Amino acid sequence: MGKTVLIIDDEADIREVATASLQLVGGFIVLTAASGQHGIAVARQEKPDAIVLDLMMPEMDGCEVLLQLKNDPEIRDIPVVLLTAKVQGMKKEMAQAAGAAGVLMKPFDPMLLPAQLSEILGWADVDREHA
Amino acid sequence: MARGLRFWVILTSVAGFVLLGVVSWVSYHTTRELIAANQRLTEKRKAIEELTSLHLLLDDAESSSRGYALTGSPEYLHTYSLALAQLDSTRQIVRHDFSSTASHRRGLAELDALIDARLTVMQELIRARQEQGFFAAVDIVQSDRSRKLTDQIRRRIVVMQNEEHNDLLDREQESRQRAHSTTSAVTLASGVGLVLLVAALLFINRLLRHRERVQAALHNAERVQRAILNSANHSMISTDVTGRILTTNAAAQKWLHYSQKELIGASICVLHDSRELQARAEGLGKAMGMTIPSDFQALIEKAKYGVPDSIECSYVRKNGERFPVSLSVTALRNEAGELSGYLMIATDISERRKVERMKDEFVSVVSHELRTPLTSIKGALGLLAGGAVGTLPESGRRMLQLALNNTERLTRLVNDILDLDRIESGRLALHKETCAVAALMRESASSVRVLAESAHVVVEAVPAGHAVEVDSGRMVQVFVNLLGNAIKFSSPGSKVVFAAETRGDTIIFTVKDRGRGIPADKLDRVFERFEQVDASDSREKGGSGLGLAICRGIVQQHGGRIWAESELGLGSTFSVELPLAVSEPVAARA
Repeated sequence: MGKTVLIIDDEADIREVATASLQLVGGFIVLTAASGQHGIAVARQEKPDAIVLDLMMPEMDGCEVLLQLKNDPEIRDIPVVLLTAKVQGMKKEMAQAAGAAGVLMKPFDPMLLPAQLSEILGWADVDREHA
Repeated sequence: MARGLRFWVILTSVAGFVLLGVVSWVSYHTTRELIAANQRLTEKRKAIEELTSLHLLLDDAESSSRGYALTGSPEYLHTYSLALAQLDSTRQIVRHDFSSTASHRRGLAELDALIDARLTVMQELIRARQEQGFFAAVDIVQSDRSRKLTDQIRRRIVVMQNEEHNDLLDREQESRQRAHSTTSAVTLASGVGLVLLVAALLFINRLLRHRERVQAALHNAERVQRAILNSANHSMISTDVTGRILTTNAAAQKWLHYSQKELIGASICVLHDSRELQARAEGLGKAMGMTIPSDFQALIEKAKYGVPDSIECSYVRKNGERFPVSLSVTALRNEAGELSGYLMIATDISERRKVERMKDEFVSVVSHELRTPLTSIKGALGLLAGGAVGTLPESGRRMLQLALNNTERLTRLVNDILDLDRIESGRLALHKETCAVAALMRESASSVRVLAESAHVVVEAVPAGHAVEVDSGRMVQVFVNLLGNAIKFSSPGSKVVFAAETRGDTIIFTVKDRGRGIPADKLDRVFERFEQVDASDSREKGGSGLGLAICRGIVQQHGGRIWAESELGLGSTFSVELPLAVSEPVAARA
């Protein structure tokens, strides 16, 4: 059974493209949330294997969501990969320092996104199985 | 001109005063001589009169002696005695008057002898009357002796009087001549002196007028300067060496809400934030290896050594409000080269800061708002082209690839614009670490492998040893850009060589292609934004025209330099020179 990935992004189009990429190309089970609040609720309820979190969102931004996720003992171990549009603005080390597993840059290549995510999360074997 | 005039003023004044001094001296001495001469003339006249009175007294004495001889009345003896007494006195005076020259003394001796002889005759007459009676006295009177003596005395006196008279005339003549010549000389000298003083006055007048003109010109220049200062859109404040404010312009008063009177004499530190001064003092002190007081010294420490200093800091208004300024501090020196004060020119950068904030917000919005649709477009197209959502006919795939390529191009353009903005605004944060040169080169070459393969170009990387202290991501971005350009402009089957070699304490990376080359006049311009060798390159080669500008910015921020060499038709070489790291690379340490 494929890994479950929760995508938290306020942009419906990006959620859809990322969902298609992770489902169709990566073979993951994808959950989506349109806001940080909703994302945290879904994470608590569904306990996904990983969370792809957009940094720039209205109301509750990615940093705050990350903080809340990491402060919740039930879900703090779920790896979070940040999705950012900032040009070279955040490096892997900085994201890790903030408690995230890594960074994915926007715009992403949907054909490569599952592989990049797997590499960050150390799911290379899983990725190869679906490739 | 003023120096020449001053010389003539001094010369003519001194000459005029010297001449008038000489005239005064001559006049004084001449007057004294004239007074003395006049006195001598008076004495001469008096001597002549004394001789006459001597003669008259002798006559009186003789008349009295004869009266006694004729009458025997003692009354005549009394008048005789009185006449003799007066005669004695007058003779003393005459002796004094006629004692100056040998001629006088001779004449006087002769006169004295004659007078004594005549007095002897008078005494003989009186004695004869007393002792021998009337007739004996008459005999003496009738004798010729007395008359002869009287005639001799009269002649002697006349001679002496004539001599004195002639002398008197000579002296009067001499005095007149001397007075005349002196008057002429004094008149002439006074005239010349007056002319010289008038000339001096004229020169002084010209000097004063010249000075007035110079002062007027100075005042005018000062007015113009003040007008310029007051119309300048900069706060200009000058201080003495201790930081006391000496002058301010209108902008300074207006911005800071202080009057000119309030600012003059105040310490410049009242216009600064004490915390900023403290921070600057600490920062400067650290850099210069010394302790700097967090007061006025913190502002001028660099400028006082002649180092132009520009500071971004806050000015504090009278009401405590702060506003950001760009402050330029310059040391002022006098003609002798000694430090005389400081000039503080401040530009209000509130607007600039506002624009920078707006730009930051704009960049942030562009970064997010442009990338979000681009992400969706690229993602959707990518899924289509990758066949994830089904198979498309060949013509559809070509159109899709076209759309995807241009999405990539638009993404690069957005990335490049945002990168360049960060570099040019100095907001590009570099995360430097010591990196092995070989690792950087391998990563760069690896990043362009797909591109090179699709262009049928071989990238030959010749990794070198050593290490550099760089932001590896940014430096790989530079090399990838240079390699990408080299690949794009190389013909299929050709080779791009990526090498590095040390030179002293630097290392030079070179990316060499065998492409079409760059004309000499465009070698420098290719590093400018939107500058491409051929205007069609951006369309045909897919570049944004910003890549090399970004490369230059990144390299410069690493303390390095980038340049291009080329021969038309033979190819180009792009070189990047970076300082070698002093420590071991991160990977090697690990």
